Amino acid sequence: MFKNYLKTTFRSLWKNKGYSFLNIFGLSIGIACAALIFLWVENELTWNHSFSNRDNLYLVKDQQAYDGTIFTFDATPGVLAPSVKAEIPGIKRTTRSTWGNPELFSLGDKAIYESGNYVDSSFLKMFQLQFLEGNAANAFTQLYSLVISEKMAKKFFQSTDVIGKTLKMNNQRDYVISGVIKDLPENVSFKFDWLAPFQIFLNQNDWLQKWGNNGIITYVETEPNANIAAINKKLYGYVQTKEKGANAKLSIYPMNRWRMYNSFDNNGKEREGQLKFVNLFSLIAWIILIIACINFMNLSTARSEQRAREVGVRKVLGAGKNKLVAQFIGEALFLALLATFFAVLIIYISLPAFNSLVEKQLSLDIFNPLHLGGLLLIALLCGLIAGSYPAFYLSSFNPVKVLKGLKIQSGGSAGFIRKGLVVLQFAVSIILIISTVIIYRQIQHVKGRDLGYNRDGLIYTTLTGKMKENFGVIKNDLMQTGLVQNATLSSQSVLQLGNNTGDFTWPGKDPNKQLLITVDNVSPEFIPTTGMQLKAGRNFYEDIKTDSSNVIINESLAKSIGNKNIIGSIIQRHNEKGELYNMTIIGVIKNFIYNDMYAPAAPLILFSDTSYVNYLTLRLKPNADMKPVMAKIESIVKSDNPGYPVEFNFVDTDFNQLFKTEALIGELASVFAILAIFISCLGLFGLAAYTAERRTKEIGIRKVLGASAKGLAGLLSKDFLKLVTISCFIALPLAWWIMYSWLETFAYRIKIDWIIFLVAAILAIVIALLTVSFQAIKAAIANPVESLRSE
Amino acid sequence: MIKIKDLEKIYRTEEVETVALNKLSFSVNDGEFVAVMGPSGCGKSTLLNILGLLDDPDSGSFIFNGIEVAHFNERKRADLRKRNIGFVFQSFNLIDELTVFENVELPLIYLGVKADERKKRVEEVLDKVQIMHRKNHYPQQLSGGQQQRVAVARAVVNNPKLILADEPTGNLDSSNGNEVMQMLMELNEQGTTIIMVTHSEHDARYSHRIIRMLDGQTVTENILV
Repeated sequence: MFKNYLKTTFRSLWKNKGYSFLNIFGLSIGIACAALIFLWVENELTWNHSFSNRDNLYLVKDQQAYDGTIFTFDATPGVLAPSVKAEIPGIKRTTRSTWGNPELFSLGDKAIYESGNYVDSSFLKMFQLQFLEGNAANAFTQLYSLVISEKMAKKFFQSTDVIGKTLKMNNQRDYVISGVIKDLPENVSFKFDWLAPFQIFLNQNDWLQKWGNNGIITYVETEPNANIAAINKKLYGYVQTKEKGANAKLSIYPMNRWRMYNSFDNNGKEREGQLKFVNLFSLIAWIILIIACINFMNLSTARSEQRAREVGVRKVLGAGKNKLVAQFIGEALFLALLATFFAVLIIYISLPAFNSLVEKQLSLDIFNPLHLGGLLLIALLCGLIAGSYPAFYLSSFNPVKVLKGLKIQSGGSAGFIRKGLVVLQFAVSIILIISTVIIYRQIQHVKGRDLGYNRDGLIYTTLTGKMKENFGVIKNDLMQTGLVQNATLSSQSVLQLGNNTGDFTWPGKDPNKQLLITVDNVSPEFIPTTGMQLKAGRNFYEDIKTDSSNVIINESLAKSIGNKNIIGSIIQRHNEKGELYNMTIIGVIKNFIYNDMYAPAAPLILFSDTSYVNYLTLRLKPNADMKPVMAKIESIVKSDNPGYPVEFNFVDTDFNQLFKTEALIGELASVFAILAIFISCLGLFGLAAYTAERRTKEIGIRKVLGASAKGLAGLLSKDFLKLVTISCFIALPLAWWIMYSWLETFAYRIKIDWIIFLVAAILAIVIALLTVSFQAIKAAIANPVESLRSE
Repeated sequence: MIKIKDLEKIYRTEEVETVALNKLSFSVNDGEFVAVMGPSGCGKSTLLNILGLLDDPDSGSFIFNGIEVAHFNERKRADLRKRNIGFVFQSFNLIDELTVFENVELPLIYLGVKADERKKRVEEVLDKVQIMHRKNHYPQQLSGGQQQRVAVARAVVNNPKLILADEPTGNLDSSNGNEVMQMLMELNEQGTTIIMVTHSEHDARYSHRIIRMLDGQTVTENILV
């Protein structure tokens, strides 16, 4: 029986090569897209799964309330880790870590910046790093030791057998390599190539000893079966027991939620992080699969007349309905398997491009039971979903009618379902088109936002070596080239400012209200270099010492202070001894946007102080050809600061990077829109061919009676265009609702323009028209003698 | 073998009611060869469909081999049909995707006969109708006469008690037609009951009895000598 079905399936496929191709190809594309998305989803869902101990690993979160808003930080006091390990039951180990600094490592002539962290030795054991050379127990026995990644070892030494060898850090000191660890996979929360003992960082940063200063990350490993609620209860007011006025409320946050969640609203409540994209893309994958299955269903039922006689004969010969259903579902499953096979080929071909788009290293391994199982499951689902309706439809044919040669009625419920499916396909495609356009416009809108300074021609680099001390020389040399307008130093980059405190106060301030204020230490050239605007008062004087007690604030802070005579007014904070000292506000700058590009500017204060600065920023003169300019600038800086490779970053490039996620969503939406339309058109093409074939006799008669080719083409296209028009009526309000809800999540957003909807609708109709017109025209110009004779 | 009494079949659409069979009664004995004749629209095909358990009457009695089958459900009809009845159609109704051998094999597959037994019986019957040399060909590669021979082979491969033939020579020339009628006659001589619907007086003479129908009723019955 099975052999008989298989033979019939093969031969039927071969007999209708065109339709078989449309069917299999459409389904393959749908399956390939869905599978690629699911590979991405798998990568996301297995984030940090290489850490087998992850159920017991946590990050300490620090929540601080200011002026009615709860901010959630990962920054914790430097003294927290050893303290909680000793004092809170249930905590097995703790470790501290810095944020991931690029440091310069050199070996002979080779000098490369590598990113890494200063960590306690417990880090090596808690995260069970796999040592290729050395071991976790002894790696940090010496103070100036270094554990490096396999990649970094090969970069410098072309080998991992490097224990005992040294690398110089920042041209200052040699570090002895005490361990080489296996490269971590891409889907983990850590990106480091070196680890060094935290004690080194602690020795250089006294402020870490104070409970009121939050500046490093703390990780916690709990005992298995520890009472997490009890630990959190103890942690909540823990800092306050060490420093009475501290604002931080601590809790531990599980590693299993770092990727999918780890986002907090203004009330300190956890919300979805990456999970919303995982859900979105999974949904899109299923939608594409469903569209492909709909195609299959439509093409199968449309061709049903060809199988009608066979169904009739089989029934006459004794096949029951169940046997026939099984036969046709079996055929659908076979086709789905064939489509899956071709989908695998498509996946292998398109993976490099997809990986480049999503910036991951995804791979398909058909020997991986999960991947193979997943593919077979998709094939099974597609076969069942796509095959069920045609199977039941075909097996319900009345043998009496079909053997008489009576035409199967394509109207009635079968025709209605077929039309409904076309409407659904096009509705989804139209929604995707509209979404693509709106997402793109929203991104462009935000990118075009006035940041409060001119980011074109603004470049920056991290300070290394003696750049800070030699700043005057460097600035002069650069300006003498005629290529640089100005230069400045700052503690943070102009796009990302992470230093903040609630410590400021001023006369008339409500003592119960705390305001979180961003702090930046800058050289006096900061405002003219960046192009920020002074709304009141003056800039800092060239001589830094003159303005040592003066500050410049932004409009948001000025508004919060609410003093009409803001210039010259006093603002205060505590010094190291805990005493309040006064500073005078000498200027107010127009708000500039930093950190969250969608939000209004948070309060900010500038100090004229280059004691703790990290960045050199240059304003370039306008120049068409950047390459030689950059080469010149880099060579000057390098000669004034020898021993350190120089790399400048463009602020506008970094700015664009901030929208990476939204840009990715936009690109994916456009790819899916194109695919959805393509698959829908495949189906429409097939249906149009079928319809034209069915109406051959009618067309022949109309031609004989005088109908023009144009009129006939129109007659055949009309019905399909009606369907697409109905799709528009369904899709447009839905798309509006979806996009409106998405845009609502942005404080800074576009208004939805009705033109987009009109264009999308017209586009869909035009595409449908082009698709069916080929078949319509072909039928309309056929010789009526042939069409009538064949009937 | 067959006894029908007061059989009625009415086709209803929204506007029109057509009485296809109007209280029809007759019987057919084992081993008889009966021809059913009449003008277009007289109800012959409807009668054949009911006799072949492809359709059920609206009222009346239909006793097949002693069993009342008039209101059997589709499953029971299919079961009875595949074990007892073979069909020969005017337009052959072979499955284009299957070879001659596979077409003839199909009823045995539905009966659950094992592969080697099937092979034996199919080859036997193909030999009988002299089409064995084309067993691996497809229907499109055969002439009309050859296709009908294959259809006859398919009809008899499960040794049915009854063969129903609906205009078996309608699409054939006279020489092929005679060949097919000869085959049917030989089958009948071997004991198979045959009921044949035909327009052809010539073909009807191969039968033992001719039943003429008009407007859903029998008008005359002639027994041929």
